[in-house]
Amino acid sequence: MPTTNLLQGTLDLLILNALALTAMHGIGISHRIAQMTHDTFRVKPGSLFPALHRMEEAGWLTAAWGESENNRRAKFYRLTAAGRRQLKSETRQWETIALAMASALQAN
Amino acid sequence: MPWISRLASLYRNLRGGKRVERDLDDELRAYLDQLTDEKRAAGLEAQEARRAARIEFGGVEQVKEEVRQVRSGHIVEELLQDLRYGMRMLRRNPAFTAVALLALALGIGANTAMFSVAYGVLFRPLPYAGADRVAVVCMRYFPRDFAFGTLCMRDYLTWKENNRAFEDPSLFTSLNMDVAGGPAVPEQVQGASVTAGFFATLGVRPLLGRTFSLGEDKPTAAALAVLSESIWRRRFAASSAVLGQTILVNGVPATVIGVMPGVFQFPWKPDIWTNLLLKPPTRYGPWFYRGVARLKPGISFAQAQSELDHIGLRMMQQNSFYKRLTLPVVSLRDVLLGVTLKPAILLLAGAVGLVLLIAVVNVANLMLARATVREREMALRLSLGAGRGRLIRQLLTESVLLAALGGALGLALAWGAVYMVRTWNPGNLPLADSIRLDLGALGFTVVVAMLTGILFGLAPALESARADLNATIKEGGRTGAGSQARGRARAALVVSEIAVSLMLLVGAGLLLRSFANLQWVTGGFSTPPSRILTMLISPGNRKFSDARRGLAFYDEALRQARNVPGVETASVTDSLPPDQQGDADTFGIEGQVLAPGELNPIVSDATVGPDFFRALGIPLIEGRYFTDHDGMDSVPVVIVSEGFARRFFPNQEAIGKRIRQSGPELGNKWMEIVGVVGNVKYLGLTVDTDPAYYLPFAQAYGPRMFLAVRASGDAARLAAPLRRKIQAIDPGITLAQIGTMEQHRTLSVSQPRFDTELLSLFAGIALLMATVGIYGLIAYSVAQRTHEIGVRMALGAGRADVMRMVVRQGLSLAAIGIVLGMSGALALTRLLKAMLFGIGVTDALTFACAALGMTLVVTLATLVPALRATRISPVAALRYE
Repeated sequence: MPTTNLLQGTLDLLILNALALTAMHGIGISHRIAQMTHDTFRVKPGSLFPALHRMEEAGWLTAAWGESENNRRAKFYRLTAAGRRQLKSETRQWETIALAMASALQAN
Repeated sequence: MPWISRLASLYRNLRGGKRVERDLDDELRAYLDQLTDEKRAAGLEAQEARRAARIEFGGVEQVKEEVRQVRSGHIVEELLQDLRYGMRMLRRNPAFTAVALLALALGIGANTAMFSVAYGVLFRPLPYAGADRVAVVCMRYFPRDFAFGTLCMRDYLTWKENNRAFEDPSLFTSLNMDVAGGPAVPEQVQGASVTAGFFATLGVRPLLGRTFSLGEDKPTAAALAVLSESIWRRRFAASSAVLGQTILVNGVPATVIGVMPGVFQFPWKPDIWTNLLLKPPTRYGPWFYRGVARLKPGISFAQAQSELDHIGLRMMQQNSFYKRLTLPVVSLRDVLLGVTLKPAILLLAGAVGLVLLIAVVNVANLMLARATVREREMALRLSLGAGRGRLIRQLLTESVLLAALGGALGLALAWGAVYMVRTWNPGNLPLADSIRLDLGALGFTVVVAMLTGILFGLAPALESARADLNATIKEGGRTGAGSQARGRARAALVVSEIAVSLMLLVGAGLLLRSFANLQWVTGGFSTPPSRILTMLISPGNRKFSDARRGLAFYDEALRQARNVPGVETASVTDSLPPDQQGDADTFGIEGQVLAPGELNPIVSDATVGPDFFRALGIPLIEGRYFTDHDGMDSVPVVIVSEGFARRFFPNQEAIGKRIRQSGPELGNKWMEIVGVVGNVKYLGLTVDTDPAYYLPFAQAYGPRMFLAVRASGDAARLAAPLRRKIQAIDPGITLAQIGTMEQHRTLSVSQPRFDTELLSLFAGIALLMATVGIYGLIAYSVAQRTHEIGVRMALGAGRADVMRMVVRQGLSLAAIGIVLGMSGALALTRLLKAMLFGIGVTDALTFACAALGMTLVVTLATLVPALRATRISPVAALRYE
């Protein structure tokens, strides 16, 4: 499957999910998403950064400069409380949709 | 709270724009570095790794732009960008900017100012509580058909007895009053005598003390006075000790009981209100009074009017000399405004609306012209990937920017104009105090200007950009899509500009000619007005109400006046042309048989000293002037005006006939007509000749008289010495209304002058804008036709041919505009009818001059580009292709 055409909501949910356990920098997030989706989605910088900045402005993420595993300066993103709530509600929403889609597609 | 975080980032983005940008740079670079690290870890050379990372990353700038797009406030940022770009565009086209801004500023400024004035004068609530429920009631009857009419005491009592519609009606009259007492010198002021309920009727409270209470208008009540704030400050140093103080009003002691606030100026800005004592009248007249009353709750003006119609019928039945009697209920505001002002202001407001229309058309025209020029820019930007929304936003920003700048200039202009009208009041407008800059009008005009800019700037630009990008870019915008239709639209706009400004020109022309007529019309006297000085003298002291003592006083005053160097003739009078009628009365003619209740008309009856006619230069037609021998005890004599003689003694000798003052019930002495003099206007310059009769001062003494002197030179210089000499006769004397006849005349025509000047100004602005419009159109068309003209000249067309061609284009547009404008003017000048004097609303000369002037101006505006066209070098024009 090609790597793009992510719905915006899907990308948000993936990013929130990727950050659920720990703070991460940009490249870490895109690796984590690739890993989580078994390489189905590979998020490019052109989609990743606008999404990160948008979510930061929405108050779901906070960003801070830190040091990467190979001693490079990098910007780390972390979920806020609002981000966690968002993750929960979007997950629930997604599950509903996925269930509905699955049963719709199985109908014939 | 997501909106808090948004607000915070908005603040961060807008304030720390640079830091945010640097942060983004760093973040992206870090990502790239990490990616490079990974590539190297995978075994690539440093150079190779960097390249691979860059390829995988994609365009750094695009990513940045996309991040910027999601930031809060990026719209604001783009707006700032558009504003900067818009400013740059405006600066780069100074001619366009100047013309557009000028049109907008004049249109917006003139409209805002005019509507502020109109609203302030015509609509702003009066500073009286519930003023819209207060009406002035007067009586009009033949032949006393004055604008608002008057009442006599008896009429008032009849009204009061039969009144159901109003709360207790009040009566008032306006008169000159001498004020004396206290340390200040005596002075003459405008005063009013009013019944007890007057202040309550008008819904005003005193600033200090009290107003008249119930019963203080009974015949036995003590004399009381209420002061205006102005005289209280001026004469009594704003001291509250003034309450209870006794002052002399017309020589009678009166107790000050209150002070009215400055906003209360009814009727006609009095400085003193005294209590009118309602003595039971013994006869009809004098008709000095007016009624004022407040409608009872739930009663409408129409209901009150129908009740008064019945009362009027009853009055006519009771008194047979009231003919065609009506009792119009007039609103307080209409009384304050007078009859001529409202139509004049509405007309000017209409005219200024036309100016706005022209301004807007001019802006539209400019926008259309610019849209054509910018076709290429828009097409280019669209093809380079600019979003349509982004372009719309930018054009919108430019239009709004232009309108806002024009609005700011207009606001400054309007503020100045309103300030001027309030401060100097050149039109002598009533209620000028309530004129304030009207921001609603400003907002409205700015929005109109903005919408015009948007409509005519945005639509064509976008339409053309959509039409055919390739064609537009290739053709260099010279004959781009839609430009032909746009040319037609511009021509139509210019035609309408010419038509509308022609209408204004005709209107202004009519007013100008009417005003010139007003200047030329004489009051019926031949001495130049600048050589006549007049002042109103009141001897003050009550002893001078005795005729013998009064006459002696005036003899002395005249003797003193004649001794002042530069005085040629001095006399006294109670009436002055052009609009100071002293008294008016009916009269009887010896031997004339009148039906019962029939009366001769009421005409001006002036009381004058012997030299009055000589001082003013009123010609003697027959008989003689008064002399010093026409004294108190001599045979009663009278002089009549030519109009009087012709009307009442047609085909007869008037000299030697006898007439007497007033109606038969008074039994006045018969007076012999000894002279006939030329007609003089006492009721205003525009009122037709007025029959009048003159009584000799010694036989009809009154204490308050005008001194009128004829000077050998400029009369204004005599004011100071004359004032000194006369004041020195008695300390109680008060002098008022000192000035030359020319000064009085200027004041009396100040309103028509104001109307005329304003309309001329509006017409001038309109003409200027129309000129700019047609100049722009022709200049643009010449620029577009450079190639064609070049070809024509190469093929042998002479300069004159080229010039004729260009001028013909302008004039054919002008011809259409002029025909349309003439028809419009013919339809609209009827509205001017009431404002014109001595000229018809379809005055052919005015129409012809306006059309000719317009043609001339259009020709001149066309000549400049036409001359430029003749200088086109065929070689150069062709080489451009």
